[in-house]
Amino acid sequence: MNEVQPYTDRYSRQVIFPGIGRAGQAKLGKSTVVVIGCGALGTVAAACLARAGIGRLRLVDRDFIEYHNLQRQMLFDEDDVRNQIPKAIAAERHLRSVNSSIEVEGIVADVNYRNIERLTAGADVILDGVDNLEARYLINDVSLKHRVPWVYGAAVSSSGMTMNIIPGRTPCIRCLFPIMPASGHVSTCDTAGVVSSAPFIIAALQSVEAIKILIGVGDVSSRLISIDVWTGDFDRLQIGDSPSPECPACQGKYEFLEARFGARTTSLCGQNAVQVVVAGDMGPSFEELARRLRKIGEVSYNEFMLRFAVDGYEMVLFPDGRAIVKGTNDESLAKGLYAKYVGM
Amino acid sequence: MSVKVQIPLPLRGLTGGLSEVEARGSSIGEIIGDLEASYPGIGERIFRGEQELSRFVSIFVNGQDIRLLEGQETAVREGDVITILPLAAGGAGDSRGADAVHE
Repeated sequence: MNEVQPYTDRYSRQVIFPGIGRAGQAKLGKSTVVVIGCGALGTVAAACLARAGIGRLRLVDRDFIEYHNLQRQMLFDEDDVRNQIPKAIAAERHLRSVNSSIEVEGIVADVNYRNIERLTAGADVILDGVDNLEARYLINDVSLKHRVPWVYGAAVSSSGMTMNIIPGRTPCIRCLFPIMPASGHVSTCDTAGVVSSAPFIIAALQSVEAIKILIGVGDVSSRLISIDVWTGDFDRLQIGDSPSPECPACQGKYEFLEARFGARTTSLCGQNAVQVVVAGDMGPSFEELARRLRKIGEVSYNEFMLRFAVDGYEMVLFPDGRAIVKGTNDESLAKGLYAKYVGM
Repeated sequence: MSVKVQIPLPLRGLTGGLSEVEARGSSIGEIIGDLEASYPGIGERIFRGEQELSRFVSIFVNGQDIRLLEGQETAVREGDVITILPLAAGGAGDSRGADAVHE
């Protein structure tokens, strides 16, 4: 049997496509893509990339799956919700059954300035599936520092945007938005909602752009693509064609990576919840913590997370010491609850 | 003088679906004021409060960010192309999905 037969069987329809061909397919098989965030964007993009035969996929997400995710987060099902499987792990499991010939690694972690370089090590492309700007500015910094292209994508309501950032060649996110907008616009999240087709289209565009970058197609777009699935509008905007000489990140100042900006607590608007991140990678042992907390509230845990309910609040703890405190948007209250019950 | 202003998708509901409109003025502030007169409501989607540009919006004059020029005082000339660019923040996850110009 011809040694490329397995490739041509599985990937025959995209190998026939002249833009990819056998040479392109071979490049994809040797490539590594890190998908940060496994929500609607990340799951759809990861599915496209796994099916396309990207050799190594690393999927990073901090969260667990809830029923209201199933409307648009394509890799998850009701069993994942019932079994309290973190998104990164569920995505890994589903993608392994889609394509067993590639490496898929799910990592449960909150991307932050301490771990992002480790999490993206070895990446040929970073794909943005995150739900907040702070993480995007971090991705931007790590991309520029290590000269790894990234594909920005965002979607909310019925619209979305995507753009390729190729270090040294195209404008980056800080070239376009030098100052990171602050998060925490609670009412927006509650009212905007999302139509699943918006992230699906953006993620599909992101994955094909990632494929083009990996193959080395010459005309990788530097335009900002904007869509609205409800009105059917599609825009391509060219905002400059090279990095801004005034951009700190493009000039080698990685202020997000150096933690000059960012917070230890983050209000997760629309969820009535706050994330608390503590210093250091190791959290308390769940077994020990459960024993202690059972005296004062309801506790359940598995290898991925511990849930603790007390006084009308619910705290979900992860092995890296991070917690999501539900039932409040008050960051100092959440930090106080964490300090009181878990310890800082 | 008259310039072309490219209207991003999230604001086209205010311009009757037009992706590009003409506006008159000699500075960005005047241009946005003229837009507001023609398309009421557009100004408050671009500015926060009185004069501060929304953190989710960048404005470019011929590809140059006005934050790096003179802000709202940035002069415009006949035939310039003004681009209003909103930043989409959501990831269709659940948290902090602030829609660009809906802050």
